[in-house]
Amino acid sequence: MAKSNVMTGRERIRAAMALKPVDRIPWLPFVGCHGGALIGKKAGDYLRSADRMAAGAAEAVRRYRPDGLPVAFDLQIEAEALGCSLVWSDENPPAVSSHPLASGRAFSDLRIPAKDEGRIPVVLEASRMMRKAHPDIALYGLITGPFTLAMHLYGTDLFMKMLEDEKSVHDLLAFTRDVGLRMADYYTDAGCDVIAVVDPLTSQIGPDAFQKFVRNPASALFSHIRSSGRQGSFFVCGHAQQNITEMCACKPDNISIDENIPLDYVRDICLENRISFGGNLQLTVVLLLGSPDDARRNAVECLETGGETGFILAPGCDLPYATPPSNIEAIAVMLQDPYQLEIAKALKTGPKTRDLLDMSDYGQTGKVIVDIITLDSEACAPCQYMVESVRQVAPEFEGIVEWREHKIKHADSVQFMTSLMVKNIPTICIDGRIAFVSQIPPRERLIAAIRRRIYEKLQYKIRTRRGEILILGKNDAECDRAMPVLAQALRELGVEMPVTAVTDPGQILSYGVAVTPAVVMVHYKVKAEGNVPAAAIIKEWIKEIQ
Amino acid sequence: MEKLIEQLSICIESGKINRNSGYPPQLKGQDGADEIARQALESGIKPSGILEGCMAGMQRIGERFGRNEVFVPELLMAAKAMNTVMEHLKPYFQTGEVKRRGVFVVGTVAGDLHDIGKKLVAMVVEGNGWEVIDLGVDVSTEKFMETVGQKPGCAVGLSALLTTTMVNMEKTVKFIRDKYPQTKILVGGAPVTLNYANQIGADGYAPDPQGAVHLLDRLAS
Repeated sequence: MAKSNVMTGRERIRAAMALKPVDRIPWLPFVGCHGGALIGKKAGDYLRSADRMAAGAAEAVRRYRPDGLPVAFDLQIEAEALGCSLVWSDENPPAVSSHPLASGRAFSDLRIPAKDEGRIPVVLEASRMMRKAHPDIALYGLITGPFTLAMHLYGTDLFMKMLEDEKSVHDLLAFTRDVGLRMADYYTDAGCDVIAVVDPLTSQIGPDAFQKFVRNPASALFSHIRSSGRQGSFFVCGHAQQNITEMCACKPDNISIDENIPLDYVRDICLENRISFGGNLQLTVVLLLGSPDDARRNAVECLETGGETGFILAPGCDLPYATPPSNIEAIAVMLQDPYQLEIAKALKTGPKTRDLLDMSDYGQTGKVIVDIITLDSEACAPCQYMVESVRQVAPEFEGIVEWREHKIKHADSVQFMTSLMVKNIPTICIDGRIAFVSQIPPRERLIAAIRRRIYEKLQYKIRTRRGEILILGKNDAECDRAMPVLAQALRELGVEMPVTAVTDPGQILSYGVAVTPAVVMVHYKVKAEGNVPAAAIIKEWIKEIQ
Repeated sequence: MEKLIEQLSICIESGKINRNSGYPPQLKGQDGADEIARQALESGIKPSGILEGCMAGMQRIGERFGRNEVFVPELLMAAKAMNTVMEHLKPYFQTGEVKRRGVFVVGTVAGDLHDIGKKLVAMVVEGNGWEVIDLGVDVSTEKFMETVGQKPGCAVGLSALLTTTMVNMEKTVKFIRDKYPQTKILVGGAPVTLNYANQIGADGYAPDPQGAVHLLDRLAS
């Protein structure tokens, strides 16, 4: 890739959609009603006011540093203008509560909405305001896909109508296509760069029905969008894997999907068809309910799968209203700071196997070593509390427990962490074994875990320690005189241990013994078996016998 | 006799509702589920035998759905064909001569007005032989509790299409669990995942209508 951050967001998205090189992967957080949360307004008040949507977008630009933003993520705008009743809620886009064609309204009565009907003027005004305020950001005008709009108008009976009365469904979809064509023009005139055709309900039909009913209207939309000098994106959500090839046949510039479809599957089909693609950060489990770490990790997975050609990083769909901004900010910061991205990638995949430290002998010293793997306890609250919990408990085991913090901002810490198979931050390891992941242990549990390890080591010590007794004497007779005492001691302890007589004067002197008889106790302790561990580990052992 | 049952199960599987129905094209002009069910009853076939034939058809279309060979429209047509047969069998359900597989109470949780997904589940589950009580959208925990109280042994399906209303799902599960611990509860909807279902203590998660049928069969057995 070229040097980072030399393109504007608008250029970056335009290039990615054309499968051209980009200076970094473009970032498209779908801030819809979530913009309301950013400026402290309810969704219903937000999506009905151009000023508020513009203010929400400004806040999103400031906090999330996006390359592109949707003007409004609301699939009910056309439906409302066409006579569907809406029910508003505080934290969601409105929901359609009536389907006019199912409740008596004649199809022939439907007219393509003019630009001053319903909330269309509101979103167009919002587009113009955002265009003026953010000339460098790609603006997405979202139109309701022809199938989803038909479902709004007709209700679920549309599914059966597809089998029983194909013609009426074709007629309806020709109408919803025309609504889409007009909406695309409105958004284009208001300054949008990308027109996104959002058709989530196509996930409920198979490729045959898609081809029969959706391909023509969708193709007409994308062809029209292209002829207006704009780029077209096809959004789908849900289990729509079966239709990706069909979606490509509609010739959009881009296909955007959610986590229900594997990104590599979409990547392969799209690139084969020379179409760019985007997605598929997990909306609920990661962005809404997860932590910034989860968000970063998920983003890295997407980036690695997406690759460098034609990929746009985006959430699977409209960000939930209450998404913690810190999760989105975490991704934004990481994307735009190559160093942060590198760390996240290192954490995701870890060093190559050959770079891993052999930790099999780690934690074999007399002390119990507590390692805390953190991002940085000064910068990350959970890390701070985890370090604090260890700091408070350590004095209970004075002289036995030694603890260290490993900040994964440093490469060797990353290597250390990966070598210990640690995958989450923060984590506590006791003698090289993962003990507490992400959650700060209560004091008693931490104490109990350390105690358990001390007992284990004691047992191990007893098992592995082997000894020998040397009797140092001028001659065999002197040694023999000492033997019965040693034999008695061994017998009374129930221990078997060799006793060796040493009479060689040179050897006696090498023990620092000047006067005989003397007794030397020799302790052998197996520290490593079958290999020679790293110098860092051997250093710990040497310290122990110094 | 067996031939009628076989024909009936083919009608169900292929969504052939009645003689006038133009779908599927290959059965155009032939008798559908409606006519064949009537003939079967008239010729003395036991209602339970008719039901079994229908279920075989539903099972086959369900399997094809699982293999991505057919999709929601075809599944709904089969359910619709099935429901015409159920109309014929209604009197026998009332006398207890044939039994439904159980009672399934379904609704979209409080604050959530999305009806499409829930409706699809209700139709397909009903088509698979369950008595379905569809409480509609924006259903309060109290309403669910009241219905579960009236229908001992029922299974409950909760739908949520919004991340914000998933919270209400959790509340409803908890209340039903506390008062009626034996009740089987399954959940579904776009933002819902198996993980989430486990987290809130539901008995299962179904990603699609056929998944709900499988789950109900498993939980009921």
